Amino acid sequence: MSIVLEAKKLRKEYQDKLALKGLDLQIRSGEIFCLLGQNGAGKSTTINLFLGFIKPTSGAAYINGLEVASHTTKVKEYLAYIPENVMLYPNLSGLENLALFSSLAGFSYTQDELVQYLVGAGLPAEAVRRRVGGYSKGMRQKVGIAIAVAKQANVLLLDEPTSGLDPKASNEFSELLLRLSEAGTAIFMATHDIFRSKEVGTRVGIMREGELVDVLAASDLDANELEKLYLNYMHV
Amino acid sequence: MIRKFWILIKYEWINFRADKGLLILTLFTLLAGLYGIYYGTTEIDRQRRNIAALDSITEHNIEEMKAKYPGEADAGDIGYYHSTFAVNHPDTWASLSMGQRDVNPYYIKLRLLNLQSQLYDTENINPLKVLSGNFDLAFVFVYLFPLLIIGLCFNILSVEKEQGTLPLLLSQPLGLPLIVGAKLGFRVMIVLALALLLSIIAMGWGRVVPDVRIGMWLGTVVLYCLFWFGVAFLVAALHKGSAFNAITLLGVWLLLTIVIPALLNVYVAVTQPVPQALELTIRQREVVHGGWDKPKRETMEAFFARYPQWTDTTEIKGRFAWRWYYAFHQLGDMAVEDLAREYQEGLRARHQLVERLNVLSVPVNVQGVFNALAGSDLPSYLDFLQSATRHHDSLREFYYPFLFKQIPFRHADYQNEPRHSFTSSPDLDTAYGGMYKLLVSVLVVYVAGLVLFRLLPAMVK
Amino acid sequence: MVRSIAQKEFISTLRDSRFMALSIIVLLLLLAATVVGLHSYSTLQKEREVAQQTVNDQFANSADRHPHRMAHYGSYAFRPKSSISFLDFGLDSYTGASVYMEAHRQNSANFSQAQQSSSLIRFGEMTVAFVLQMLIPLLIIFLCFAAITQEKETGTLKILLSQGISLRQLAWAKIAGYSRVVGLVVAPALVLASPLLFSRGGYDLEADVLLRLLLFIVFYLIYFFIFIVMSVVVSSWYQRSSTALVTLLGIWIFCCVILPKASANLGANLYTTPTKAQMDADVHEEVAKGIDGHNAHDQRAEALKQELLRKYGVKTLEELPVNFDGIQMAAGEEHSSRVYQEHFEELTGIFENQNRISEYASFLNPYLAVRHLSMGMAGSDFRHYIHFQNRAEEYRYHLAQGLNHIQATQLKYGDKQTRLSSDTWKSFKPFTYETPSAGWALGNHLLSLVALLLWLVLVCTVGVNRINNTQIT
Repeated sequence: MSIVLEAKKLRKEYQDKLALKGLDLQIRSGEIFCLLGQNGAGKSTTINLFLGFIKPTSGAAYINGLEVASHTTKVKEYLAYIPENVMLYPNLSGLENLALFSSLAGFSYTQDELVQYLVGAGLPAEAVRRRVGGYSKGMRQKVGIAIAVAKQANVLLLDEPTSGLDPKASNEFSELLLRLSEAGTAIFMATHDIFRSKEVGTRVGIMREGELVDVLAASDLDANELEKLYLNYMHV
Repeated sequence: MIRKFWILIKYEWINFRADKGLLILTLFTLLAGLYGIYYGTTEIDRQRRNIAALDSITEHNIEEMKAKYPGEADAGDIGYYHSTFAVNHPDTWASLSMGQRDVNPYYIKLRLLNLQSQLYDTENINPLKVLSGNFDLAFVFVYLFPLLIIGLCFNILSVEKEQGTLPLLLSQPLGLPLIVGAKLGFRVMIVLALALLLSIIAMGWGRVVPDVRIGMWLGTVVLYCLFWFGVAFLVAALHKGSAFNAITLLGVWLLLTIVIPALLNVYVAVTQPVPQALELTIRQREVVHGGWDKPKRETMEAFFARYPQWTDTTEIKGRFAWRWYYAFHQLGDMAVEDLAREYQEGLRARHQLVERLNVLSVPVNVQGVFNALAGSDLPSYLDFLQSATRHHDSLREFYYPFLFKQIPFRHADYQNEPRHSFTSSPDLDTAYGGMYKLLVSVLVVYVAGLVLFRLLPAMVK
Repeated sequence: MVRSIAQKEFISTLRDSRFMALSIIVLLLLLAATVVGLHSYSTLQKEREVAQQTVNDQFANSADRHPHRMAHYGSYAFRPKSSISFLDFGLDSYTGASVYMEAHRQNSANFSQAQQSSSLIRFGEMTVAFVLQMLIPLLIIFLCFAAITQEKETGTLKILLSQGISLRQLAWAKIAGYSRVVGLVVAPALVLASPLLFSRGGYDLEADVLLRLLLFIVFYLIYFFIFIVMSVVVSSWYQRSSTALVTLLGIWIFCCVILPKASANLGANLYTTPTKAQMDADVHEEVAKGIDGHNAHDQRAEALKQELLRKYGVKTLEELPVNFDGIQMAAGEEHSSRVYQEHFEELTGIFENQNRISEYASFLNPYLAVRHLSMGMAGSDFRHYIHFQNRAEEYRYHLAQGLNHIQATQLKYGDKQTRLSSDTWKSFKPFTYETPSAGWALGNHLLSLVALLLWLVLVCTVGVNRINNTQIT
């Protein structure tokens, strides 16, 4: 399995704080890496560095072997991203939003295919052509998932993706992630959800104050042990 | 790259169509533009009709004179009671930019009497109306189009941040410059389409003379719109919120279209005071009325110094003779020739000072270009005054042989009387100069915008 | 509770450096406009006083002349600037400053500032009124647009309401707080204006000027208050601050830029102004049907002659105890003045019809209401201008008739030679102009006054009551 996501001594400082202290990480295709940590631990910083939204102070992030900071536009062909709170153009329908983003990514799907992606992501069929302004947070999240899936990227970056979803939708989402990973997508997910991490993750990383303090293979331990371990790290 | 640009444009269009506020704003500007065209053409048509009506007033006056003096008349009586008009026809372009044509009279009623007491008579104007100004197409372009551009562009980037779509958009393979470029490009297309549409309608409606000015007008309109897009881009490059952008852009608009021009006005009035026109008319009255009290020989000798060809005419014996009367009237004009020239040169210098200072405000510059193209500003009025002055001279040339050779004035002579016609002409040099300055302003704004855009990193999150 | 919220708004606004920076700019512009206005006022005033004095002296000291010669020599009326016109130039820059007053004809008021200027002047002038009418409302919008929306966005609105305050109370509290801030910005300039006005001294109608100034200030305070309440009300309609801001800016542009011009232009389109040439021709035509002062062979002159001969029981004009020339001139002047006055009133009526469109538009737009009232108080509005023109015409008429009377009583019939000594002219009182009273000025603008007060009442009742219907979440 090839390495698709890599961080080498990735470091990010802001004027008043050190957000990430030299992260080293490799994620292969088909792998689901879950990053646990408190608010402010550096999870989002890591994702933003992989997205090229911010520039590292030193070190580098790579996607498919390309350095993100110098190929900010090119790397986006390989990755898909779902933010914590998916925000869309309120005056466009869910379908039009998906059509916009997938055409920007270079795809020209038919209307039927687009509808399938939306329904496949769990959006009720009758909502597809309604304006997004009237959607609930969960519905927008599903459009976000459809946008990511339709992009057929080999890297998926997720920032707290399940925070707006009800338990049923959350389960469907987990199944989707597993399907994608079987198809070879590398998934990097920042989350608070210990149990879901254990359920879907190949590996689980624990981050504290900008440092990756431990990386565990999810198969090595059960959920209760993971929680204990996590809380342990947090209280040091 | 090009494909993505057009995809973004297409979705901007869908977004634009769905946004009621933007549609209303655009539609409103279109209607304002159409009203401006309607207003400009009707006002200029009214001026044309009024000028045409002057002919019938003159004809009527001649009929009256013929009735009053059925046979041969003394030309002195005709010169005293008969009036003609010096007229300033509007250029065909004046309906697009009326400039000062509503403030400055566009005709002058002239009799053979002294000129200076007739030259500055005003037309019936409602001061409240001229204070409020003209709602012509130039106003729509100079004042309202910037507001349309501001309305379309103040949240060009900030709205993506505020509605949270920017991260998702930037997670696609495209850069921020492309997004900003496409968004601006789309708005530029809408605004320019609207501007060109209005310009073409106005040109057709006003039946303008098709010449190089079509290109100059359109060029100025396009550059001016681009200038305001540049300002919007510059402010967007600061990466601030929508409220900040709206306030800043409106502040810039207020500064350029109202505050700076008002301050320039004060500056011009203080540094380039116009010689008192009052003094001119007062001094002239003294000389003219003093003419009655001076010995006739003295008056006539002063007059002959100017017109040696009449020196040999007969000595004036009685209490009154018309040729003596008109001689001291002309001496009244001659006495204030210097003041009159100073007055007009002062006004011209004042205008030139404004021409130099208008680099400080692009709207003032553009209004100047429009007025120069339409021949509706102060210089063309001053040209008209000079033309009217020459016409008055030719009236004197026409009447003096009758007076000095004591030839009776016959009915057939009315049609030989010189008639005046003057049409405001455009000032293409000023217009080219203004366009050049405008081009420089546009370049400065875009360079500054690009530099800022490069320097200040976008905060996606 | 209301008081504490008002206090909080006041204090937090004063701590907002951006707002304070803007306020200082506005305040500086206000002071600059005061200085500029005062300078321009005193320059123009001095010019006109000197010119008036010159022509008065010239008239009083003119050479020995035949009285009808003197009537043609005539005089000038210079329009003195109203003493608080330095706060609002109004129409002054567009109205003629001087009228030449001679026998037989009424001249236009010539040499307006606007005619001596390039189109730059059409962009507007830097006056106190401009700052008060256009910039302060903008400052108010900037101050108030987020009044309620910000509380919604930050979620503090729910907390405030859970403390037992009603939305209306909250709105009034905000209005009170913002009013204090605006007062702080405009007070220095207004306070400064009064000593500037009165330090020059030498003005007789102190009480009337004071009343005008007081009303001027009161109208602006009402105007600002309307904008404050309106901004807070609009702010309550929306969920997002930027939407409220854009709406308010739209209202400002509509009220202060588009509507004034559109209504004035519409008025001119609806009621056609006759040209001066046409009006003169009409006057001439009608006068021709009357008595021509210079033409003794006229039919109507003949009738007048017969009547006089009968009255005094004599056979020839030479036998009359009065000079028929003077009588005929006086009758002609009387007739032509009446005809002219009718036409002038017709013209004024057309202008007033045109202006009435703008006055009615005050009901749509408080800016127009305060603009009319402000010009009225400053003595730079249309009615003051017409008032001056009428005084000048009155003076012209009495001057001409006075000279005709001298001709009729002191000269013999047919005498075109006799020159009267220049002492005769000294007995004529020179032209003086007194600005009419504040009450008169206010009476001309009752429509605008009603509109302004109606706006005040409407925003305070209907507007504020609608706040209660606002959507909280």
